[in-house]
Amino acid sequence: MEYALNIDSFQGPLDLLLHLIKESKMDIFDLKIEEITNQYLEYINKMEEMNLNIASSYLVMSAELLEIKSKMLLPRHTLEEEEEEEDPRDSLVNRLIEYQRYKDLTGEFKNLEFERQKIFTKIPENIREYVEDNQVINGGEVTLDDLIAAFQKFLDRQKQKQPLNTKVTSREITVEHRRRSIKKILLAKKKVNFMELFDVINREYVVVTFLAVLEMAKEKELIIRQENNFDDIICEVTHE
Amino acid sequence: MNNKVAVLEGLLFVVGDEGLTLNQIMDILEIDIDEAKALILELRQSYESASRGIKINILGDRFKLSTKKEHREYYQKLIETPENNTLSQAALETLAIVAYNEPLTRVEIDEIRGVNSRDMLRKLVAKGLIKEEGRSELPGRPILYATTNEFLDYFGLSSKDDLPKFEKQVEDVIDDTDLYHSRYVDIDEKIET
Repeated sequence: MEYALNIDSFQGPLDLLLHLIKESKMDIFDLKIEEITNQYLEYINKMEEMNLNIASSYLVMSAELLEIKSKMLLPRHTLEEEEEEEDPRDSLVNRLIEYQRYKDLTGEFKNLEFERQKIFTKIPENIREYVEDNQVINGGEVTLDDLIAAFQKFLDRQKQKQPLNTKVTSREITVEHRRRSIKKILLAKKKVNFMELFDVINREYVVVTFLAVLEMAKEKELIIRQENNFDDIICEVTHE
Repeated sequence: MNNKVAVLEGLLFVVGDEGLTLNQIMDILEIDIDEAKALILELRQSYESASRGIKINILGDRFKLSTKKEHREYYQKLIETPENNTLSQAALETLAIVAYNEPLTRVEIDEIRGVNSRDMLRKLVAKGLIKEEGRSELPGRPILYATTNEFLDYFGLSSKDDLPKFEKQVEDVIDDTDLYHSRYVDIDEKIET
């Protein structure tokens, strides 16, 4: 059998199985487990030969199929008891059917999405000038989710405000550079509050400064001291 | 005395895609529910005229102004490079599972999909289509996920009642409700306390 399909076109092992079942025109309620297991394994092996990464979930399914297959081979108890022996395929078949039902639904959602994208809404007007500064938000009314949602919205809106073309220039600060300036500060002041070193708040500057302090401590160019818990951290020149 | 329909129109314009709830409209205009509904209906009717370019929608439980479907092609001309911003098959699948079973845990989603959904859930939370809604009483107290109002808006739905019909299998319904009660009972109360 020729497989022109890529494993990436499947959402997972259940999707792949459904595809194989459909291809071989099998009745899902009367799964020929041996046949489908062979096809599945063949497919997975082909993929491995092509050096494609097979997600572990596909391998788990292989094991599951083989387990069902081996159970099917075992002689079934035909004792005339009331209890009905469970078909080892049942669990898999149920999962396949359930998955199939959600999969079928995605078409409808796709359609809804398509229809919704035909209309546009606008972002809210900026009415900040009407906001009174000392507005107090009552505690307990705002959840973490609200905050995250608000921040997410802020980021989205910020994105829309960006000009289409921008020139990006970055002023690079190196650890070495920052180290020299900290050394200068220390020479002049002998000791300095750790927090004072972060006089510019941007990520790069903070990271570089932090690295510089660590580096200097390692090279014994400064001593980091903190008298008590939660006291200010003081960086001092080393007395050699 | 300002014309309340006109004020309502302005309000809806100002709030844009954040929309207004019926309660907000009642509060701001200081009117009762019947009057609020009547105002919305009046405004809605005036938009129905072919000479108007906007309409009122109920999306995700809120009233929002939007353009009309039939004018879509003109708006498209505004966009130079039309991006195809649609959700992937995997995302739709996951959303469908959440929508019909919420609140549920990641493992329950994984079981139905047969694959790990962690990254997908993270993406959907970041997009605001689903949110964390408390924790299950199962061992490890895993996070429960549910869909949001943005989810409804994204698919142009007013409320969950508008979701495509999805018949739960008869036998499953019994099992599911049992599970539902044993596992998730009182979770809302617990969050509140």
